[in-house]
Amino acid sequence: MDSQIRQDKKVIDLKARFSANKDHYSGDSDDEQLWITEAKQGSQAAFYQLYEKYHRRIYALCWRMLADKDSAEDVCQEVFVVLWQKINNFRGESKFSTWLHSVATNVVLGHLRKHKNWLQRVFSIEEQGAGVQDPSVSLTDDSTLTLLDQHIARLPERARLVFVLFAVEGYRHEEIATMLTMAVGSSKSQYHRARSLLKESLIANGFVSIEEEINHE
Amino acid sequence: MSKYIPQEEIISDKAMSDKALAEQVATLPVEMTPERDLWSGIERAINHKNQELTINKQRKLLMPSAWAASIALVILMSWVTFSPSINEESAPVLVETQEKNGVTQGQLVNFMQQNFKKQKQTLLASYGQPTVDKLPAAMQQELTQLSDARASIRKALLTDENNADLLNLLDFTQQQELKLLQQLYRQYQVI
Repeated sequence: MDSQIRQDKKVIDLKARFSANKDHYSGDSDDEQLWITEAKQGSQAAFYQLYEKYHRRIYALCWRMLADKDSAEDVCQEVFVVLWQKINNFRGESKFSTWLHSVATNVVLGHLRKHKNWLQRVFSIEEQGAGVQDPSVSLTDDSTLTLLDQHIARLPERARLVFVLFAVEGYRHEEIATMLTMAVGSSKSQYHRARSLLKESLIANGFVSIEEEINHE
Repeated sequence: MSKYIPQEEIISDKAMSDKALAEQVATLPVEMTPERDLWSGIERAINHKNQELTINKQRKLLMPSAWAASIALVILMSWVTFSPSINEESAPVLVETQEKNGVTQGQLVNFMQQNFKKQKQTLLASYGQPTVDKLPAAMQQELTQLSDARASIRKALLTDENNADLLNLLDFTQQQELKLLQQLYRQYQVI
């Protein structure tokens, strides 16, 4: 139990460092403040500047949560359309990038709910077990993705969402539980499940071949 | 792009393996570049939403006006239908009911004629006694034609005073003349 807590703490420390890097990168500059103000007044040119600055980051979030290029592109567009409509709600109480990420997360989850409802109506698919993939299944040949991203994409949906939101986006399990309408315990267990599956998948795909290495030695 | 987890970290125990995974997560790129241009679609959607917003605003503004217009129309229609007016005061009713009242046809024609003159006077007085010669020529001609028609019918009634159709026609002509005068003087109130 203690070792588990230590492991989680390490992850959180790494996330904090990661977030610090992101914040350094996305600090609300004077230019950005100006773009936000002008976009609130209806300037599409200013809004385009915000899009230029953030769309790659939002696309990355969409891609990791949806694990599908086309859907990620569509939803990324939707995020910016929603942003245009809701930008007046941004009151500067948090960093713009933080607020934008929360908007994006909500849009992605909304998209997933709509999509899942439709799928469930048509095919009566149950998520449990349906998304688990054989770790030995070959990865996507998208060379623009890191190997880890390719493995994340192969996680079952709930585990993937929790993993991305917790480990990459830095949300707390309490927040994730609210967003995904699940118990905090479920969020934690999905996270651990994702971590185990990732390690298993990484090992199976050559990232790690401990036994082989040991045998070779 | 991706880095291999140092084997020492993975081999040692499960905790190290988790750490290695966490380090890998920390190296994930913050940004990814979409393949297609997303802005054009966003721009289209934004413009469409803006248009929808404008239309909705206009609708919101129009709704009270539309309601007001509808209410005014209903009131006007009710007033026209139920109130005594120039159109209803005279003849079809008079012509239809004259026999019941024991009035002779000759008396009726005179009554209609007097009634018409009175209405015309009242109407012209309400517009400040305008003169017909200030109306456009075409209008003057139309009024003359109606007046001539009225005179012809009256003449015919002198020889056939029991003709109900002629009486109705006289009434109709009188009403048309009054209506036309009303319209003309409303339209040319400057006269």
